Amino acid sequence: MLLNAVIIILREVLEAALIISVFLALSQLLNRNLWWMLLALLVGFSGATVYALNLSQISMAMEGTGQEVLNAVLHSVIFISLLIFMISVPHQAHAKWRQLNLVTIVLAVITAIIREGSEIILYITGFFGIPDLLSPVLMGSAVGAGIGLSVGVFFYYLLVNMRTSYGIWLGYLILLLIGGSMVAQAVEFMIQADYIAASAPVWDSSAIISERSAAGQLLYALVGYEATPAPEQAAAYFSSIGLLIVAAGISFMFRGKTS
Amino acid sequence: MKSIRLFLLLSLLATITLVNFVALLHGYQSSMEKAQSLFDSRLESTARLIASANSEQTMRQGIAEQQTPFTYFQIWDSGGKQLLTRSRNAPEFVTGALTEGFHEVNFDSYRWRNYVYRDQHLNRWIVVAERIDVRYSLAEEVVLESLLPIVIAIPIAALIIWLAVGIGLKPLRQFADQVLGKRADDLSPIQLEKVPHELVTVVSNTNALLGRLDHAFQREQRFASDAAHELRTPISVLKVHLHNLKQRLGDDDEDITLLKTGIERMGHLVEQILALYRTSPDQASARFESVDLYKLAQTVIASDFLQFERKQQHISLDGETAILSGNRFALETLLQNLLSNANKYTPPGGEIHVIVKPFQDGVQLIVEDSGPGIPADQHERVFERFYRFQGDRHDSGELGCGLGLTIVSHIVELHHATIRLGTSSLGKGLAVTIHFPGEK
Repeated sequence: MLLNAVIIILREVLEAALIISVFLALSQLLNRNLWWMLLALLVGFSGATVYALNLSQISMAMEGTGQEVLNAVLHSVIFISLLIFMISVPHQAHAKWRQLNLVTIVLAVITAIIREGSEIILYITGFFGIPDLLSPVLMGSAVGAGIGLSVGVFFYYLLVNMRTSYGIWLGYLILLLIGGSMVAQAVEFMIQADYIAASAPVWDSSAIISERSAAGQLLYALVGYEATPAPEQAAAYFSSIGLLIVAAGISFMFRGKTS
Repeated sequence: MKSIRLFLLLSLLATITLVNFVALLHGYQSSMEKAQSLFDSRLESTARLIASANSEQTMRQGIAEQQTPFTYFQIWDSGGKQLLTRSRNAPEFVTGALTEGFHEVNFDSYRWRNYVYRDQHLNRWIVVAERIDVRYSLAEEVVLESLLPIVIAIPIAALIIWLAVGIGLKPLRQFADQVLGKRADDLSPIQLEKVPHELVTVVSNTNALLGRLDHAFQREQRFASDAAHELRTPISVLKVHLHNLKQRLGDDDEDITLLKTGIERMGHLVEQILALYRTSPDQASARFESVDLYKLAQTVIASDFLQFERKQQHISLDGETAILSGNRFALETLLQNLLSNANKYTPPGGEIHVIVKPFQDGVQLIVEDSGPGIPADQHERVFERFYRFQGDRHDSGELGCGLGLTIVSHIVELHHATIRLGTSSLGKGLAVTIHFPGEK
């Protein structure tokens, strides 16, 4: 039970910790105020609690596909926030772009915490009625959260202690991969809700790296690794990364015109 | 990195957490495997015990008292066709292959681990089984008990690291406090109780820098002071020679008049340079005392009255007793400079108004005149050394070296006061307003 709890909580915490640490580091490298993070965390946790408490109503909505659709929407919101963030970064000299940039960071962090936090709350509260399993679940959750947060701390200090330009580029790269992962997961939820027809997996790499292994979890959080992705997921993943690169590139080229 | 303490706390804690938790997971897996092998040994022993305790070869129906719902046993004949005996909760069929060893089987909606033992002596099969989930829970319960302290230790480690890093950074904090708490004129070396190896270079280099700075200031002060003192003597000699020359050539000679102006300007300059260095906040080790600024203004006006009379200017002093904590000599210099400026730039017959009064927990001094004034865009610049508004082409044609307001600003700074230039209420002239803080 402990190992299951570790894997499930690690997966959720690692993803949220990575998004928060990269945004925190980029905010520091771009000389932004960090107090907004506290606000975003508080709003995010409150949102996650509200989501978890109303899960039954959400699940019943849209002919029983409410939860999948809402999760797909949350992932899409994170992706759109990342897209606008990357477009707005080259125009930091302009006050309105700076404001928009801050809004996208706050929105992405709040949404990520609502998504991952609600999963964690649901998982742990599910064991409240089973005293025999609660103790290993709580301990496994503590271990998973500890490992996930530690990795987040290392990423943050790695980025802020690198040369500023390298830190920004590495942060950008991680955000690209997170963006691709978000869209792939949104597509996965739409497949689960039957809004997109399921197809046979493009490949099966579970024999090489299992999704349940520690490496699989880290890769999942880092690059959205799926051992058996549907063709739609793979297409969404690569095209969304391509879109982020093109949008950021165009914005970078036109940076002088708005500043 | 915004805070060294936070960086050390978080990075150390993250390292400890990561290493400990990965080790914990490894330990958990090893302990669980070990526990499973212990349960297997127990199952094997139980099978042998049941074999020796049940030697009857006739068939019995559910005879054995049930020990626990989580285990069962069966005894089959050599062909596995006839069930000789079983525990009450055991199935009446063979749940898996009757081959000696461990097997995992499904029964009664649970997964069971059984051990099949071949009793060679009585030629029969003994099957003993345990529910896997119960075995797993038991093992996990024991293992978790031993791993719990590792998880609880993390917040304790966080507290200890926070305190330890705080203690470790104490010399750095003391160093920063001492640097921050230094007065502008305090160039004494920084003294730390215990200097850690990492700070030795920083402290010694800072102290060396402070020492060099102190020497440079002293040298500059000595040079300015010595130069001014040394120049006073030749100027006095020049004045004597000028007097003798005037006796010989008469007062009307133009060259004599020019020479007189030049010598007076040089004398004034030397006096002002001396005053400038005496009142500089970097140099002045001011002795503060209670001073009645109103009374002091009366004294200064009285002593300089002749210069106002010469230009037939009307000077007035308003206000009341106003006590402040200050350096008497510096305040006297300040009043002399302000009044001298007013005298110089106010035309003959003009007005000069001095107000000294207690104001908002402090003392306010206003000196205003009916002269030409200074445009607002020049208010900042007139405090610069040797800067004169309109230079030597000033309409007044008065003697000046551009140090008067610099000296005033030094004295204002020395007293932590504020100075503001504005337009006089006597017309378009200059109004200088200084607000001194009250006595503490």
